[in-house]
Amino acid sequence: MPDTGVLLRVIDYSKCMGCETCEAVCEFIHELGPFIKLYELGGGVKRPISCFHCSKAPCIEACPTGAMRRDSQGAVYVELSRCIGCMACLYACPFGIPDYSEVTRTSIKCDLCRVLRSDGLTPACVAMCPSRAILIGGPKTVGDEVKKRALARIVQLGET
Amino acid sequence: MRIVFKKVRTAKKWEKMRFAFLCRQRPGASHHKVAIIGAGPAGLSAAGFLACRGYEVDVYEKLPIPGGMMTFAIPKYRIPLDSIMEGVEELRDKFSVKFTLSTKVACGERRDEGDELATNSLDMLKLAEGYDAVLVATGTWRSRRLGIPGDDAKNVMSALEFLLDLHLEELGLRAGHLGSFRRVVVVGGGLSAIDAAEESLMKGAQEVYLVYRRTIKEAPAGEYEVRRLMRLGVNWIELAAPKSVIAENGIARGVVFQRMKLGEPDETGRPRPVPVPGSEFEVAADVVIAAIGEIPTPPVASECGGIGKYVGKDGRMTVDKTYRVPGTNVFAAGDVVTGPSKIGQAVRLGLLAAKEMDRFLSVKTLVAR
Repeated sequence: MPDTGVLLRVIDYSKCMGCETCEAVCEFIHELGPFIKLYELGGGVKRPISCFHCSKAPCIEACPTGAMRRDSQGAVYVELSRCIGCMACLYACPFGIPDYSEVTRTSIKCDLCRVLRSDGLTPACVAMCPSRAILIGGPKTVGDEVKKRALARIVQLGET
Repeated sequence: MRIVFKKVRTAKKWEKMRFAFLCRQRPGASHHKVAIIGAGPAGLSAAGFLACRGYEVDVYEKLPIPGGMMTFAIPKYRIPLDSIMEGVEELRDKFSVKFTLSTKVACGERRDEGDELATNSLDMLKLAEGYDAVLVATGTWRSRRLGIPGDDAKNVMSALEFLLDLHLEELGLRAGHLGSFRRVVVVGGGLSAIDAAEESLMKGAQEVYLVYRRTIKEAPAGEYEVRRLMRLGVNWIELAAPKSVIAENGIARGVVFQRMKLGEPDETGRPRPVPVPGSEFEVAADVVIAAIGEIPTPPVASECGGIGKYVGKDGRMTVDKTYRVPGTNVFAAGDVVTGPSKIGQAVRLGLLAAKEMDRFLSVKTLVAR
């Protein structure tokens, strides 16, 4: 099936080297960010995590005011004017993604760079990752790439 | 607020580093011209930001290819060359960023690593006069020396020299100086040491020793990276520091190490390595690589019209909160300001400094009008 307008972002941890570029550019463009963050896992290993933009998002279900929404490209975002800062979304999220902002007194999270996308641009973390470790695109495009990379590792064709 | 999304056009958005990730094209040309010295992650990120603000951007780079440490120090399997080069080409072709390569910009005399590849040189102060603002993003292209007897042997080198040599050969820019090697000793416990040891293995070295004066727990590269290299076959020797290089006719044959034990915490808070008397041992080598730290290399090696006093004893460029050298149109960002750091940190400072340059020049324009 060809890709429709829905975007899937996947972090390829087999490529990520923990250089922190994603976090740096995210923080640069989002006053309240970063919304992709690296955490130390011990032994000096740091890796990023961000919202998965689930297609059956528990945060949207749990939100009592309809502030947690999904845009036409599938990105889950907070409509700040409707958010009451109850953080029910955080309780609902299996990955602990939503943050509480003391500035806006609301929930805040990754919106896959709504402003950039409205101009036809790529989310900053994807655009600037030096090691091609953050993929975005339609489910088919991204799914094919992930499988091709896995295949290359199995057959040991080297890096792609 | 209703946002209509424009279709994200081509399929693979992750293939290249989009240094100008904030815009699709350069907006109507500005009457300001800026220069960036150094085409590493800090310089290229700043170039992208400033191009998106309409500036005419000229980038100067001493090496024949842009990318800085991303191109010449970090292994290619971590950062594909195309990812950097296609990003640079986009800056050049779509955002009219002018790249002047193989050109060393400096004020005063100092030899840094990789300088021998520059075929032109420009005076920093004269350059700064020709631009509304200049960003110094020249990184850390000098290495600490072992400072032990015999370290002037021909096959004793810094991690940076070693990695630069390998990458230049790989890129077809220069024949490698090293020839083939079987036994490599790398001294150090940081990421440069890891990269040098791993590249040695990939280049076919049969025995690679990674020797660090503290333990794996203190290694700046982290325990995970050290263990990964051990799995690849690198021999890890901890609690040992080099005492002398065994050299014959100016060629190193091995290194004498002395055992260390951990003492009281030093000024960095890590336990100080204390030599154990009478514990010397030898490791044979046909290449000895010192990966014990890189030093910032600002393009300022003398008084330089007052800029010289903003270079600290450790070589770092001192800037104010707006990344500016006070009283000048010179800004600085990246490792030349912080010392060796991760790519993300260099990108962050490059962007922040570029934003401040934009502010500085916008205010200047308002006042002038």
